[in-house]
Amino acid sequence: MNVALSLLWKDLVTEWRSRDRIVAMTVFSFLIVIVFQFAFPEMEQEELARLAPGLLWVTYVFAAVIGLGRTFATELENEAMTALALAPGTRGWIFLGKATATWLLITLVQVLTGLVFALFFRVDLSVGLGGSLAIVAFANVAICSIGTLLSAMSVRSRFREVLLPVLLIPTLIPVLAAAVRGTASSLAGESVGLGLLQPLIVIGGIYLVLSFLLFDYVLDE
Amino acid sequence: MSPVRLRGEGVEKRYGRVAALRGIDFDIAAGESVAILGANGAGKSSLLKILAGLSRPSSGTFEARDAGTSAETLGREALRARVGYVGHATLLYGELTARENLAFAAGLHGQRPSRAALDAVLEEFALEDVAERRADTFSRGMAQRLAIARAVVHGPSLLLLDEPFTGLDEASGERLQARLLSQRDDGAGAARTLVVVTHDPRRAVALADRALLVHRGDIRAAPVRGDDGFTAEALRERLVALAGNAEVAA
Repeated sequence: MNVALSLLWKDLVTEWRSRDRIVAMTVFSFLIVIVFQFAFPEMEQEELARLAPGLLWVTYVFAAVIGLGRTFATELENEAMTALALAPGTRGWIFLGKATATWLLITLVQVLTGLVFALFFRVDLSVGLGGSLAIVAFANVAICSIGTLLSAMSVRSRFREVLLPVLLIPTLIPVLAAAVRGTASSLAGESVGLGLLQPLIVIGGIYLVLSFLLFDYVLDE
Repeated sequence: MSPVRLRGEGVEKRYGRVAALRGIDFDIAAGESVAILGANGAGKSSLLKILAGLSRPSSGTFEARDAGTSAETLGREALRARVGYVGHATLLYGELTARENLAFAAGLHGQRPSRAALDAVLEEFALEDVAERRADTFSRGMAQRLAIARAVVHGPSLLLLDEPFTGLDEASGERLQARLLSQRDDGAGAARTLVVVTHDPRRAVALADRALLVHRGDIRAAPVRGDDGFTAEALRERLVALAGNAEVAA
């Protein structure tokens, strides 16, 4: 557990000082929102309610891909990845520290993006705010779990910029489907119960446990 | 921690169709200092990565044993806990200060050293004045000293160094060599097993008790201190001869 906490501390401190991931993700998300604004101008309120959850999650996933792509790229500088590979004990703790730091960063970017999205598309996010946040939190567990594993697997590849989204996005389809459905209900003012959260909790749990266990094999040459 | 004995039989390492190591045998005694010499691409770094538990042999057997409880072979996890490793690069984080880099390295080994303990390590490597400076502002020599401090902060009993003198001027190299000699024991009185990969026969003779001359994935000679062949000049001649034979063969 100490290893996970050390990794979490290190990732947050280095991110605070460099701000490379958070700035890249935030700027990219805002640009997508602006592109959507031009692509869907003068939308009727009814049509907006139908499309908004999907548009929001497309933005979230693209931003997450950018953030996850940098998760282990920073470890390549000065070959710091070798130091991680030399850490004794279960390497799953390295995964957990990395995934938690990424979860925090992605969630922060998603909150900021949500505010900008609400402003541009005149969506009242205060309706079902708690439910929306719960969906974001649980969906991000799945995104960051499988994303951190795949990021570590692809980082040494020459094609890592292409490989990560190609591997990641198909694994996120069930997460996206559940998250979009839940967000739509939440924005419509319906309560987000266990029924809507359950798929996200189950998928997130599976991805978390699988990634924790498989991470032992990822850092080896 | 007791020092570690490293033994390999028929160790082969292949990257696709390229053989980096061709079935080599070696036995590095606990507490022994060994230098691995050879030309670029000879297989030195591949061997070091196997010794560190970072890479598995493609075939053959490699085992590490604790000198204190020699009946038991150390698993890869147990071996990693005892390894201090310096690679081609520094393995440092530029955004972290020298002190933070050391604290993080210790944290990866499940340790939380006190400020005084970190101060002692920083002082040992003459980094106490730059303890709060970010590592990306360091000169090559300072970064290399910090890299070695990072490798020893958790008190490893096996120290593996991959070309630690690369990029250093003569004076910095001499200072680093003196510091490495002081790292041959683990601070608790026990001898560390030290393996250093280098191109420079002078450094090999200064640091090691034995040299392994690696050429094209094979160990071609293993002179020990006291042998006629264990001088900087003799090692250099041997390396030049190996390189010359390779050119003739090619």
